[in-house]
Amino acid sequence: MAGPEPTGREGARRIVAALEECGVTLVATVPDTWIGWLMEEMRKSRRLRVVDVVSEEEAIAIACGAALVGARAAVVIQNAGLLNSGAVIASLVHLYMVPCFLLVSYRGDERDPVYYHAPKGRVTEATLAAWGIRHARVREGVKAQIRQGFDWIEETRAPLALLFSAEDLS
Amino acid sequence: MTTARRAWLEALVGALDPGRDLVVAGLGANARYLPHLDVRAPHFALCDSMGAAIPLGLGMALARPDRRVVVLEGDGSLLMNLGTLATVGAARPDNLVAAVFENARYESSGGQALPEVRVDFVAIARAVAFPVAERLAEARELPAALARGWASGGPALLALPTAFDPAEPIPPYSQRPAEIRLNFARALGR
Repeated sequence: MAGPEPTGREGARRIVAALEECGVTLVATVPDTWIGWLMEEMRKSRRLRVVDVVSEEEAIAIACGAALVGARAAVVIQNAGLLNSGAVIASLVHLYMVPCFLLVSYRGDERDPVYYHAPKGRVTEATLAAWGIRHARVREGVKAQIRQGFDWIEETRAPLALLFSAEDLS
Repeated sequence: MTTARRAWLEALVGALDPGRDLVVAGLGANARYLPHLDVRAPHFALCDSMGAAIPLGLGMALARPDRRVVVLEGDGSLLMNLGTLATVGAARPDNLVAAVFENARYESSGGQALPEVRVDFVAIARAVAFPVAERLAEARELPAALARGWASGGPALLALPTAFDPAEPIPPYSQRPAEIRLNFARALGR
């Protein structure tokens, strides 16, 4: 259950274009319905290598490995998976100060029509804050947001999470 | 039959191409030994983040196809993230070898036994499309097995039955994470 599919995919295409323009070459992902819509656009890119993984902690470690050898990578996961990932964020991302860019589907926020996601929505931003992860919701001008986000994580050697909803993909 | 960890490590280090290979060590004894060995290839050691070594190495391997990545992982740590073998099998990097040290113990935390069931990592790796998955018996077999891994056109897993000796004087962690990261970056010329 995911709510209605967004009409058009302009928002998703803007996100993909922004990642390409930032020089991202690798995207590690675990799907949910919204991410599935985004990844359909992502997989059309000739510049992004999509790595399908089986757990969100793994996606974060893969992106960290890419960053450690000088590549730009992004992690695309649901907030449920983010909530599973506290250990790797603390013991790899924070401990080794590895830049890490997270694109997180924000299930259970006020825009999500699916009732059972609501508990995750209630704790997502508080958890991000508690874990020391700077975060923002996708807004108009997402390309600039993503560009600035990559510059910021590399300057600070810290993680950043950009939270998106289904309507951000339309 | 088991072999001492140090013997595995020395054979592995001796088989590396410093200009081409990268080494990632999972947390624990391998990471603690690494600064005490003559490792001339760039190397990155985890002192925590159990289960992250293989995906970390996968990220490096995919981002740098011009390099070859050897990951040193323990059996307990791999069990924590066993699904990563499926991810590696699907991604099919031809420049990643996972060396899995099998001693059925959580050595770093006091030598507690793993859950009492024999997990056949070689069979699992074969089942998820690793073209090379072998269990070795002796350290002298390692260079040739590594070469078979690099030549296989896909990922490889080498299971290394490792002796557990609670009295083994494993050195303590001697490098801090920031130092490890910086040394790794410098060795890569970054």
